[in-house]
Amino acid sequence: MSSAALINVDDGDAMEPTLQSLLDQRSLRWIFVGGKGGVGKTTTSCSLAIQLAKVRRSVLLISTDPAHNLSDAFSQKFGKEARQVDGFDNLYAMEIDPNGSIQDLMAGQTDGAEGNDLGGMAGMMQDLAFAIPGIDEAMSFAEVLKQVKSLSYETIIFDTAPTGHTLRFLQFPSVLEKALAKVSQLSSQYGSLLNGVLGGSGALPNGANLNEMMEKLETLRAAISEVNTQFKDDRLTTFVCVCIPEFLSLYETERMIQELASYGIDTHCIVVNQLLFPKPGSDCEQCTARRRMQKKYLDQIEELYDEFNVVKMPLLVEEVRGKERLEKFSEMLIKPFVPPS
Amino acid sequence: MPSLLVVIFAIELVVQLINTIGAATINGLIWRAYLALPTPLAKEFANQRKKQKEYLAVRHDLNATSSQDEFAKWAKLRRQHDKLLDELEKKKSSLDATRTRFDRYLTVARLLSTRGLQWVLPMWYSREPMFWLPYGWFPYYVERFASFPRAPVGSVSIVVWQWACTAVLALLMEAAVGVLGLVAASKNAKKQKQPVPVPAGSAPAGAKTGKNDS
Repeated sequence: MSSAALINVDDGDAMEPTLQSLLDQRSLRWIFVGGKGGVGKTTTSCSLAIQLAKVRRSVLLISTDPAHNLSDAFSQKFGKEARQVDGFDNLYAMEIDPNGSIQDLMAGQTDGAEGNDLGGMAGMMQDLAFAIPGIDEAMSFAEVLKQVKSLSYETIIFDTAPTGHTLRFLQFPSVLEKALAKVSQLSSQYGSLLNGVLGGSGALPNGANLNEMMEKLETLRAAISEVNTQFKDDRLTTFVCVCIPEFLSLYETERMIQELASYGIDTHCIVVNQLLFPKPGSDCEQCTARRRMQKKYLDQIEELYDEFNVVKMPLLVEEVRGKERLEKFSEMLIKPFVPPS
Repeated sequence: MPSLLVVIFAIELVVQLINTIGAATINGLIWRAYLALPTPLAKEFANQRKKQKEYLAVRHDLNATSSQDEFAKWAKLRRQHDKLLDELEKKKSSLDATRTRFDRYLTVARLLSTRGLQWVLPMWYSREPMFWLPYGWFPYYVERFASFPRAPVGSVSIVVWQWACTAVLALLMEAAVGVLGLVAASKNAKKQKQPVPVPAGSAPAGAKTGKNDS
């Protein structure tokens, strides 16, 4: 078996099979790590964060996955506030809940005079949140951006949720913009009429206020379009796809890459996890069979994604948890793993 | 300027033809003729058709490729497929709009040149005699009717001439359509009959034809 030959495909013009390019790209501000569930997103993002921390001033690792795994990976509790990771002096981590943040947002609005349960403004915002797909994610990203902007991290890594549509909201500002334009046009045209109906202060039935509502929507739109411009800039943002050499994972990865391309988000790295390298002479039937299957899909990946940095990571015998193991694992993102021969 | 008699007749003939053949069919024919001209639009349509063909070929390949066994090839085909589909969709709406506009112009032109003239000419020439009836051949009320509404008594008015043309042409058209239909039907019947010659008095026809078919 020529597994070594498989690993070292140095054709000269071939893309190098490491994430070194990410480390070298100093302008990178946002790095997303995404893929289907169970392919090793969290491990990969932690490893990448560790490697980046070596060459950047400060790195923040954010998990937007409701099933938070960062705490597990680093064996340390993280929360909504950025917290330094034990054993690193410039690596920070936080876990945010996309659903939680919109609830916080709404909760913040009920503080006002009409602060009964979900009446008024908050009720309106809630209706809105459920009416537009992806708006909750967009708002949580906007919120994160606002938080992160005030702090000075050089690079922020997102460990995204496995629900394939993390970045769905990127296609939505134009929709919101159009809707807002329509509404403001209407309100300027029929404003006097509306005010006549609603009373002088422009109060809406639920105790909300028309002008206030418009203002809220406008700030929301501005925040989201800000996120948009940042994420669509390939100097600032890139997406690392994580997959395992199996059909479904590959299929989802291809779809994700196409989707990202349609949003205009740069992606040029694929991490292939859980590769099996049975020891020569191993008589594990399952291992060799699986290895053969993996090799088939690996060949397909090589052929299809020749313009990507395809990093191949082995399946280890122990769980990748804790600082030392993660550090060891992260080495392989930079120096290609050479299987025992 | 040809005689008004002929003009009116020609207009009525055209109207009858359009009614018989169908406005949509005529529009389609003219559209196709227009596309056959070497215009940029025609080129665009040719391109679209070529792309459609390409798309179908890619789709065929895509369906013939196993995504599990040849993922790379399949994914590449898929990308091509999606791209072509996207382009086709985008182009289709603009081309459809062109077609709709063309149809609209055509309809307006057709209405003006038939229905419009049908109304305008009789109004304009309502006082002019088309031709004179032989004096004394018809009773007064017939002459009065023939000159309806404003032509001099004793002549045939343009309106009446129009009516006459319409009636005769409608009759002729009906006859022509009927005859053509008959001819076509008899031809069809012959065609259908020929492949199944069932000799008289032979055993169950069903079994026989079944054999013939196979």
